[in-house]
Amino acid sequence: MRTAAVWLIALVILGVVASGCIGGEEANTSKVDVQLSGDFTKDVLEIGKVLEQNGVKEVKFSAWGSGDPNSVMRVYGIVEAARRINKIWADNGIDVKITITETHYVASFQDAYEEYLSKQPLGQAGDFFVNSYAFLPTLADEGYILEITDYATAYQSVIDDFYPSLIEASKFKGKLYGLPQDTEARPLYIRKDVAQKIGFDLTDLDEKVKNGEFTWSDVYYWAKKAKEEGAAEWGLIHRKGSAHPDLIQFIFAFGGKLYNPNNGKLVLDVPAVYKWLYVEWKFARDGLLPEDIMSWDWAKQIHPAVVEGRTLFDIGGTWYWTEWQTKQYYAKDGTPRGLKPEEVKEWFYYTLFPAGEKGGEPVTLSQPFVWMINSKAGQLNPKYDELKDVYHKLAFLMIIKASDPDINAIHSVISSHLPVRKAAAELIKDEKWLNDLKSLNIDLDEKVKDNIREIVQATVHPINAQFLADVSYMLEYTHLAPAHPKYPALADIFKEAVDKTLRGEMTPEEAVNYIIQKVKADPELAQNVEIQGEVPKDWKFPQE
Amino acid sequence: MKDVETRPKRYERVIILALLLASLPLILGFSLLTISSLSTNMVTNLDPDSFHSTLENWINLFKGKIATTGGIRVNIWRITLNTLVVALGVAGVVTGISALAGYSLSRIDFRGRKILMVLLLILHAFPGVALIVGVYLLYRLTFPQSHDLVGLYSFIYVILARAALEIPMSIWLMKGFFDTIPWEFEWSGIIDGASRITVWRKIMLPLIKPGVLAVALFAFLAGWQDIIYVRTFLIHPTLATFIEANIEAEYSHMPLIAAAGTVYLLPTIIFFITAQQLLLQSYSGGIKG
Repeated sequence: MRTAAVWLIALVILGVVASGCIGGEEANTSKVDVQLSGDFTKDVLEIGKVLEQNGVKEVKFSAWGSGDPNSVMRVYGIVEAARRINKIWADNGIDVKITITETHYVASFQDAYEEYLSKQPLGQAGDFFVNSYAFLPTLADEGYILEITDYATAYQSVIDDFYPSLIEASKFKGKLYGLPQDTEARPLYIRKDVAQKIGFDLTDLDEKVKNGEFTWSDVYYWAKKAKEEGAAEWGLIHRKGSAHPDLIQFIFAFGGKLYNPNNGKLVLDVPAVYKWLYVEWKFARDGLLPEDIMSWDWAKQIHPAVVEGRTLFDIGGTWYWTEWQTKQYYAKDGTPRGLKPEEVKEWFYYTLFPAGEKGGEPVTLSQPFVWMINSKAGQLNPKYDELKDVYHKLAFLMIIKASDPDINAIHSVISSHLPVRKAAAELIKDEKWLNDLKSLNIDLDEKVKDNIREIVQATVHPINAQFLADVSYMLEYTHLAPAHPKYPALADIFKEAVDKTLRGEMTPEEAVNYIIQKVKADPELAQNVEIQGEVPKDWKFPQE
Repeated sequence: MKDVETRPKRYERVIILALLLASLPLILGFSLLTISSLSTNMVTNLDPDSFHSTLENWINLFKGKIATTGGIRVNIWRITLNTLVVALGVAGVVTGISALAGYSLSRIDFRGRKILMVLLLILHAFPGVALIVGVYLLYRLTFPQSHDLVGLYSFIYVILARAALEIPMSIWLMKGFFDTIPWEFEWSGIIDGASRITVWRKIMLPLIKPGVLAVALFAFLAGWQDIIYVRTFLIHPTLATFIEANIEAEYSHMPLIAAAGTVYLLPTIIFFITAQQLLLQSYSGGIKG
């Protein structure tokens, strides 16, 4: 018995020691260094020469991305960057080339993140990882992604061309950990045909929204009129789920906040959350918004209701614009089909998410995607310990190249995401460039061309480019969902509360108390969430 | 007069009806999945108007396109092969070990035999999820330094780890089969000078062939269907992880995922249809001698 106990204790100690050894700091054995000058060609050549001198003829990298099927440039941008760098080396007689060994792309960005989390410590994650900025703080904190602040200093002119708010979203504790890849806005879409039936004049509506003259009370008024006059089955359709943070726009529209930068805590802004839930409750009770919308099917209910004109308003995203063209949601003629660009233009008006109350600010919400570099980037390549710094700088230059205005503009046009660089925003207005893209008469990797051909055919159209140009201004009003590790848990509670409110299981006040109770019941959430304010008394909706 | 007890016919119909009703949700679910894979949109109710026939989903699946206009290609054959390797590996390991261990427990009275049998039952009581932290620690401890070996290592590890979960129950099943074989069969072999292992291989295994096949079948399905271990330990995707990563209700073209789901279900359906009799024998714990 005693022997068994000794063995058991020895095993436990061994286990503890072994687990302590796992994930330990790696010794910094990098010996070869290259200084980045900010001159891209010069830096690429310098790195190429160093690799050549060290006998490296092939550098292998892999790219991981995720998202909707039209957003594949998130990984093909890296493939194209490799081709462009290879060309520089080949033109200058340097016998080195980059090979992208894997382009791993899945639909679910949460799944991709979890896979990266589990495989990065084992050295099996992609060298490039494009995902939501919301995951960046955790990855940076864990040391799973490369800090590029110093590298970026040499490329300040490129950094300056990105929209500043997006660069800020790519930082953690003031340090840069990635470059923005895309972003979006979430417009309020209005069916023009339904509006016309009820005498809703849309002329200069976006200006009225910008000025805070057109608020959610007006949305309610017109939604009710559309329903009562039989012009549409619903007044409003909106998105669902907690991973998609669309509905928190209400919090910002009612002047609330979700994050306190001073103490790094999430904020439960009780008055703003109450007003949000009240609006949802009122719309549902008056039959303007389906009370079970949080469990509606995207492809069979939500999108068809919008594209078939069964609602006046829809809270959506910029990517809807091409999604409605590439997916077969419209089935009024019998066989489901995608919309034509002309139909989307003719049927939909778009504006910012209106202010909650008169005089307030309209808002929109963005969830930028960021190109991040694995902190072990290049580890599968020869002499990694000696050339680690060189591989990392090459990886950085690759995301600089992948951010070229034309690559970013292609992604924007085919996926209806907003450009992250001003130069890309200019390019999408260029009709000749658009025509060249339509015929794929552009300088792009042949394999990439083949793989995006169908998407290009379905999406590249002057109407779509014009839409992107028109909605770009919305970024000036954008808010970001908090990049806080506990935000998903809070978002889940919001989702439950919205669902219960819509179904009439709770009044808005009960739903707010429910959120407070749930937050307090979870010790981690309670520590990370600051509850501010009280349920406002005598607040009315709709307002006069 | 019949020499076996028979049940009154009137009850038989009631039982068949009850069983049919009990299986209806499953049959309906599988049918809707298969029908959806042949439609432009998901058929989630019994409304015939929602069915619009197309073979596009299957064509796209075999081309490795994960969306109708999506630009990413995946090698679905490679993914299916990965799944097959894991399933066959688990089946091989489980069958081999449990056939040997089941024979020993059935025939040899060695020291600690009873404790071992009890321990096996206790091991079976542990769900795989409960063990995963420890299994992961071992995975990290034995993880190869050479990147060239990582792929192979992850296959071997996931096969062994998944097989370990199946082995305790399989040993009990095999022991049950060996218990039904009369001693005389072995004695004759041993008297003729055959070793234990020869007796096991040449006399006993052929006699319990249905049992071996049943255990192999269960193990194969366990490997084919596994997602938690495969997702945690295997570097390459299998059908389960591929489907999971691409079921993003908003972005995915769900009928295409339904086609992948149908492929994923095929072995299960084929095996259960073709091996019903075998499974009934194994559930009853043995065969007639």
